[in-house]
Amino acid sequence: MGVFNFIIGRKKPTPSEVAKERLKVVLAHDRLKVNPELLELIKTDLLSVISRRLEVDEQHVEVQMAREDRWDKLHAAVPIKRQKISFEWDPPTYTPAAKVLQGDKVRVEIERVEEE
Amino acid sequence: MDSRVLTITSGKGGVGKTTTTANLGTGLAMRGKKVAIVDSDIGLRNLDAVLGLENRIVYDLVDVVEGQCRLRQALIKDKRLPELYLLPAAQTRDKNAVNSIQMEQLCQQLRREFDFVLIDSPAGIEQGFRNAIVGADEIIIVANPEMASVRDADRIIGLVEAAGKPEPRLVLNRLRPEMIRRGDMMDVADVLEVLGVELLGIVPEDEMIIVAINKGEPIVYDKRSRAGRAFLSAAQRIMGEEVPLDEIEDAPTLVERLRRLIGFGPAIADRRVRS
Repeated sequence: MGVFNFIIGRKKPTPSEVAKERLKVVLAHDRLKVNPELLELIKTDLLSVISRRLEVDEQHVEVQMAREDRWDKLHAAVPIKRQKISFEWDPPTYTPAAKVLQGDKVRVEIERVEEE
Repeated sequence: MDSRVLTITSGKGGVGKTTTTANLGTGLAMRGKKVAIVDSDIGLRNLDAVLGLENRIVYDLVDVVEGQCRLRQALIKDKRLPELYLLPAAQTRDKNAVNSIQMEQLCQQLRREFDFVLIDSPAGIEQGFRNAIVGADEIIIVANPEMASVRDADRIIGLVEAAGKPEPRLVLNRLRPEMIRRGDMMDVADVLEVLGVELLGIVPEDEMIIVAINKGEPIVYDKRSRAGRAFLSAAQRIMGEEVPLDEIEDAPTLVERLRRLIGFGPAIADRRVRS
């Protein structure tokens, strides 16, 4: 994503590259009347959705509007914490897997296949 | 052949609209077309000076619109080209002296007499700009490869589309190849990527333009000037000729970059700019 290239921080960008990236952002904002408050609201909504599935590093989330290939795009960079990737999962109660998680014993039948 | 009304606008001031209008108009007349150039920058007229015709003004656009004179009386024949005419702006009035309906009617009148009508729009997005585009078939946007100008150009593109006009084409003016090489100035591909419109021409920065304006002789007459040649190429493209994009030294490498941009394949990739 072009917008975040500078955050990754490779070589120092030239004035022309800076101008281009600034333009992409400012034009997307100009065209859509997207203001910082709107982006904050979107950020909060995104975080609440994503953190239901993945653990998010909320301090370092970036949400940005930029123009790319004739489209104004919303970019979000959401760092995920590596250690505890936990997720909620509600399996339907009638599957064998569900029963195992609840501690029930499940009977498994194995068929031996005779190899010739 | 159908007449065409083209408005040259920019949003931002000082990017070269008047110079571009004067030179495109002169270029078209040099190729044998009958051309009327209209200065719609009421209150701040300059097209007359750029063309060297400031001493010949008797009547102006407001006089015509208010019925003080006939259109023919206000049109000033160019000093050098018999088929080039100027309709000057009024100097002692302001942009509200004319409304959109009057401008549209004026364009209709001019259409009957001329192959091309070029309208020099004022800077800004107010009544003057609206008047300038209302009668246009096509819009040309002039921008410099510099953040503020490109930002305003983008706004103009939006307003032009909202007015129901076809997508404008871009003249990128005042390029400095040395600055582009150093990375201090955006290049053609950068600007096109951001704006997403078709390119009509690129004009390098040229000191001789200031001299030309001071002398009242449009630069397009000067074959030695890169800017002059660039304006002539742009005029040819307006007429539908396919002219390769070699206005500035690094154009071939720029074309390579453009080739890789999505959506700019057909027009630019074969080193030509279609009208």
